[in-house]
Amino acid sequence: MVPLLLAAPLVLYMLAFYALPVLAMLMRSISDPTWSLTHYKDLAGDPVFIKVFWNTLETSFIVTVSTLLLGYPVALALVRAPKWAPLILILILLPFWTSVLVRSYAWMVLMGRHGLINEALLAAGLLERPLRLLNTPLATQIAMTHILLPYMILPIANALRQIDPSLARAASGLGATPFASFRQVTLPLSMPGVAAGVLLVFVLALGFYITPAMVGGPREITLSMLISQQVEELNWAYAATLSAVLLATALGIIALFYRLPGIGNAFTTSGR
Amino acid sequence: MARSRFPSPLGRRAALGILGAGLSGPFIRPSLAQAAWPEQTTIPDSLKGTGEVRIAGYGGTMQEAQQKAYYDSFEKLSGIKVLAFPGASPTKVKAMVETGNVEWDMAQLSRGSIMNLMKTGDYFEKIDYSLVDDGVGKEHRFEYGLEMLVWAQVLAYRTDAFKGSAPTGWADFWDTRKFPGDRAMFGTSGGGWPEMEFALMAAGVPADKVYPLDVDKALASYTKIKKDVVKWWDTGAVPIQLLTDREVTMTTVWNGRMAALQAAGVPAAISWEQGLSKRDAWGIPKGAKNKANAMKFAAFSTMAIPQARIAFAIPYGSVNGGSNEYIPPDRLAMLPSAPEIKKKLVNYNYDWWIDNREAVIPKFNKWLLS
Repeated sequence: MVPLLLAAPLVLYMLAFYALPVLAMLMRSISDPTWSLTHYKDLAGDPVFIKVFWNTLETSFIVTVSTLLLGYPVALALVRAPKWAPLILILILLPFWTSVLVRSYAWMVLMGRHGLINEALLAAGLLERPLRLLNTPLATQIAMTHILLPYMILPIANALRQIDPSLARAASGLGATPFASFRQVTLPLSMPGVAAGVLLVFVLALGFYITPAMVGGPREITLSMLISQQVEELNWAYAATLSAVLLATALGIIALFYRLPGIGNAFTTSGR
Repeated sequence: MARSRFPSPLGRRAALGILGAGLSGPFIRPSLAQAAWPEQTTIPDSLKGTGEVRIAGYGGTMQEAQQKAYYDSFEKLSGIKVLAFPGASPTKVKAMVETGNVEWDMAQLSRGSIMNLMKTGDYFEKIDYSLVDDGVGKEHRFEYGLEMLVWAQVLAYRTDAFKGSAPTGWADFWDTRKFPGDRAMFGTSGGGWPEMEFALMAAGVPADKVYPLDVDKALASYTKIKKDVVKWWDTGAVPIQLLTDREVTMTTVWNGRMAALQAAGVPAAISWEQGLSKRDAWGIPKGAKNKANAMKFAAFSTMAIPQARIAFAIPYGSVNGGSNEYIPPDRLAMLPSAPEIKKKLVNYNYDWWIDNREAVIPKFNKWLLS
C-alpha cells in the first residue's frame, strides 16, 4: 500500500495534465462534428495519410536499424573498456543534453550546399560541384540517427553490464573463440537491451517533428508534421484522428515488445 | 496567412524562425535614422479611454516597429495601456473563444484567416466603423476585421548567381536553364497558402486573368518546377536563410524580410513583377474583455501618421491614403504600397481563397506527395 501512495502524486499529475487532455483530444476524433467513426473510415482511402504514415514508419525503421548497427559496438566498448568508459559516456551524453533544435541546426551547417562537408570534399578535389545533402530524406535519417543514438546505446550497455563476466570466462575455458563466445553467450544475453533500445528509438522516431521539418526533403512529411498542419488548417477533428493513430501505433509497438521475454530486465538500473 | 512573418520568442515554428534569423547572420534592422518621423499630436475624444488593450502580433522586429510606430503614441494620447504579445494565430483565437478564455483583445491576422474562421462559427466581433479614419479605403474594410498593413509576396534571387541577368516574373522563376539553381516556395505545412497564382502566371496566364484560379492548371504548372523546389517553406525566416546560405538561387519571400537580408550585405534582390499584394488585418476575438479599447486602437493605428510611421521602421505599406505624404520619396520607393511598385503587383484575392481554400489544400498536399 505504501509504495502505491508514494506514486500517488505523479499518478494524479499524469491524470490531470496528461490523461484527461489526451482523452479530450481523442473524443474530438469521434465527436466532431457529430458522433461517428467517419474520420477513421476516411483515413483508409486518404492517399495523403497513407503516404505520410508509410514515410513515417519507413524513416523510423531506417533510423532504428542504423542506430542499432552504430550503437551496439559503442555499448560493448563502454562495458569492455572500463578505463575509457567515462570518456565514452561523456561523448554520448554531451550531445544527448544538447537541444534537438541546436543539433538539427548544426547538421544544417554541416550538410549545406556550401557547408563543411561539401566544402571539404570540394577542396580535396573529390567533388566537382557540391552535393545536395541538406533537404533530402538522407539528411533526416543522418540527423535523427545522431539524435537517437544514446537511446540505443544506454539500454544495450545496461544489459551488457548485467551479464555475469564468469560466463565469458567459462566459454573460453571450454574452448570458444572470442567471436564464438560473443555470438553464443554475450549477444543472446544482451537481447533484452537491444529490444529496449529498438523500442525506445522506434517509438521516439515515430513522433519526430523538428528535424525532418528542418533538414528533410521537400516531399518528406511525417505524421506529426501532418498533424501540425491540420491543426493550423483548423481541421481539429482530422488532426485528433491522426494523433490517435500515432498514439495507437506507439502503444501497439510497446505492447508487442513487452511480450518479448526478459525485456523488463533492460529497464532495471542495478548492475552487478 | 501572415503567421510568423517575424521572429518571435514563442513556439516551435517561431523557434525555427529565430534559427533562420541566426543563420542569416547579424540581423541588422534597416531604419531611417536620418529622416524625422512624423508625430501624431492629438486624437479625437472618441478614441480616448481608460484601462488596457491586449494586442497579439508577431513579436520580434515587427513588434518593435509597432511599439515605436503606434503603441507608445496611443498610450500617451488615449490613456489606454497597450500590452503587446507575440504569436498571433487564428488557431489560438479559435481555442480562446471556444474555451471562453479570451486572452487577447485584438490579433494581427489576415482577411483570409479571419473569414476562414468565421465560416465555421462566430469567432470575431464586428468592427465599429464610426471610429475609423476616412483615409482608410473601403477595399481595406470588412465586417469582422480592419486591414492595417500592406506587404507583398515576391520573387527574390541571388544577384551573384546569374552573371548579371535578372529574373522578372514567374516564367523566369520556372526557367531553370536560363536561371540555374534550386528554388524554394511557400508550402502548406504551417497553415500556408500555396502560391497557385505564381504557377499560373508561369504558365502564361496574364496577371489580370489569374482569378478565379484554375487549380488543375496551376498544379500542372507546379509539376514542371517540382524537382527544383528543395524546400516548401512555412515561415518567413526560411527563404531568407536559404538565400543567405546559397541553398537556392531564387525563392519566394515576404518583402519585409529582404530589407534585413540586404542590410546584412547578402547579394540578393527583389523582383517585384507579378508579386502578390497582401494585407494583414486586425481582428477582435469574440468576447474580448476590452473590446471597446480594441476598436479605439484599431481606429488609431490606421490613421495616416501612425500608418506612415510603420514604414519608417520596416518596409511595409499603409492602408491609409493620407500616409504617403509623410514618407520621404526614397523610402516610399521601396514599399509595396508605392505607386510604381503597386502597379507591378497582383492584388491577392482573399475572397476567392476563403471560398476555395478547403478544397485546394488537400489537392495541393496530394499533388506534393504524388
